[in-house]
Amino acid sequence: MLLPLVAAATITVAATTTDLRDLVAAVGGERVRVESLTDPRQDPHAREIHPRQLALLGKSDVLVRVGLDHEPWLARAAKAVTPPAHDVDCSRAVTLLGTETPRLRADRGAHVHAFGNPHYWLDPENAHGITAAIADALGRVDPDDRALFDENRRRFLARLDAGLARWRSRLAPYEGTRVVAVHDTWPYFARRFGLVVAGTVEERPGVPPSPAYVGQLIERMRASGVRVVLAEPGAPGALVRRVADGAGARVVTLAPSVGADPQATDYLALFETNVARLADALAGLR
Amino acid sequence: MTLAIELLALPFVACAVLAGIHAYFGLHVLGRGVIFVDLALAQVAALGMTAALLAGHGPQSDAAYYYALAFTALAAGVFALARRPESPAGAHAVPQEALIGIVYAAAAALTVLALDRVPQGGEQIKQLLVGGLLGVTADEVARVAALYAGVGVLHWLCRRPLLTLAAGGSVPHAAAWDFLFYLTLGLVVTSSVRIAGVLLVFSYLIVPAVVGTWLADSLPRRLVVALVIGVSVSALGLGAAFAWDLPTGAAIVATFAAALAATALFRGAVALARRLRRDGARILRATAGVAGALVFLLGAGLAVFPGADHFWLDVIERAAPAVRDVFLTAAERQVVAESAAAIERGTAELGRLRALQADAQWGTRDLGPEQRERLRQFLAGRDELVAGDRLVLRTLRQRVRERQRFVVGVPLALGGAAVTVAAMVAPRWRRRRRGESPRMPPATPAEVSRTSRC
Repeated sequence: MLLPLVAAATITVAATTTDLRDLVAAVGGERVRVESLTDPRQDPHAREIHPRQLALLGKSDVLVRVGLDHEPWLARAAKAVTPPAHDVDCSRAVTLLGTETPRLRADRGAHVHAFGNPHYWLDPENAHGITAAIADALGRVDPDDRALFDENRRRFLARLDAGLARWRSRLAPYEGTRVVAVHDTWPYFARRFGLVVAGTVEERPGVPPSPAYVGQLIERMRASGVRVVLAEPGAPGALVRRVADGAGARVVTLAPSVGADPQATDYLALFETNVARLADALAGLR
Repeated sequence: MTLAIELLALPFVACAVLAGIHAYFGLHVLGRGVIFVDLALAQVAALGMTAALLAGHGPQSDAAYYYALAFTALAAGVFALARRPESPAGAHAVPQEALIGIVYAAAAALTVLALDRVPQGGEQIKQLLVGGLLGVTADEVARVAALYAGVGVLHWLCRRPLLTLAAGGSVPHAAAWDFLFYLTLGLVVTSSVRIAGVLLVFSYLIVPAVVGTWLADSLPRRLVVALVIGVSVSALGLGAAFAWDLPTGAAIVATFAAALAATALFRGAVALARRLRRDGARILRATAGVAGALVFLLGAGLAVFPGADHFWLDVIERAAPAVRDVFLTAAERQVVAESAAAIERGTAELGRLRALQADAQWGTRDLGPEQRERLRQFLAGRDELVAGDRLVLRTLRQRVRERQRFVVGVPLALGGAAVTVAAMVAPRWRRRRRGESPRMPPATPAEVSRTSRC
């Protein structure tokens, strides 16, 4: 008799990414049941939602999402089922980068990342604001456990901050190093760890670059001595190889999300893995 | 220029290799009337690659290639059997294109289902569509060139039965020859798609062959025309991609479309000139009727939907601003002039400052963190200002369209309709004045005999 009562008292949360799922799990602990609506190994922009995920969205108490234009499929999914009563747009809890794109777009051109760069979870510092928004939403669903959520959050952030200090000291010798990224995924990560993303292989996010652009990029990399290309697991291999070979650079594959790489098993392991790979690559160049 | 050659030399050689073999296969495909067989085979190859990914092999591995080949061979067998004349005919007969379409749709759906379970599945599909022409290596080009040369020699040795079948004739063991054709086409398509992507491979196969068929009569001449078109479009497309900063594969596909359209226009103009000489007045009337209908549609479009995009009017106004200015008040004209000047100034300044920002980003110019942040904020503000000025111009243009609605749109629609109606009724009216009866179709033999009996 007790089990159904416990199950009924659990808060069901639908997170749009595995990163947010981990942060919800860290704050909610055993009081929440949280699932990610997307697979981190697939393109988050071009998600085709499955019936099982629609059912999850329909029965959830809270929706936690990246926001901006990161989940174009979500609007359609929310029309198919009654969306959760509590909607947490985590982009409102952080300071965004790349918001320069004019919103008064008279030319109405198609543009990914039109409202600012959405990869903000890749700065561990931003987890402070995101987890605060999550704790607030969970506290509104279950006011009795608000103190528990705050305590869970405090413990998680303590571990994260300790990790951040470790990661920063590991990358400190390479502060100011210029790198090139394939997709415009890493501005938050680079800012936190003192790297400069000098350019991207994709001139416009999601559109294959022109030969003139690739040529200019290779020339600039040669002239500025940029010898690292940050790639994601799904990056176009032949193109990345061409750029790296042309500029005499090394390709470092980083995980953009929890689960995108077998070693990035949770939010802390995501940074542990990325920082270790980057530090090894940069040390190899010296 | 050196950089362009360094970047584009290998992609151009790859394109030339592709153009050669695909021009030849394209003529076969056109002859057989199986236009979409290439897309179906490419999709089946993609399904094979996906199966390899599911089995734990890498997307660029040899195993993935052999999986793709095995799947393509299976599809080749299905297509070869489906074409047989001894297959069920009569009321139950279906065109081979129906089967090709079904294979394409089923393979695409199965690929989507399988890729849902594969890491970066969506990315794999996208890369298969657009290809990676810029990243092609000398080794890859040499390998496909050797393979295609082998396929070419094989087809030369078997040319008689294969060409007879392409021309619609029959030969002994036709199913086996068909299987050989589809198998070698599958081999070529599977290898080409890895380099150039599905869209580009389809263009190399069909467009040069269509142009060759239009412009030449014999097979060798068609092949030469197709080859010349394939190689020259590759050079033009790559050049355009470099000069105008465009994605490579899409630029070449668009150049193919432009080449095809130019050839069609040329053929149309030649045919029109010939008919004008033969039947001048009637052709002129028909042309006037079509032009009148077009003017009617443009005018009616402006009158009914003034808020929609009217590109023809934009072009006219750009060439002759007076067409727009006459519908603006003096104050509005001044706002238009000021906004246009501000956009020009702002765009030039943005270009200069973005170059400065890029230099600082790449470390070729020294700017402190504070200066960089100020530059970023200034750029953001300036960007919004330019966008705001564009919005002003757009709003004023909408106002102009509202005013042009009845003054330009309605008269154009009425005038166009009048020209079309006049072109249609003029011959009838002239015949009536001459007292001729309307043109009737020639009498059938039965009618003739009935009349004679009476």
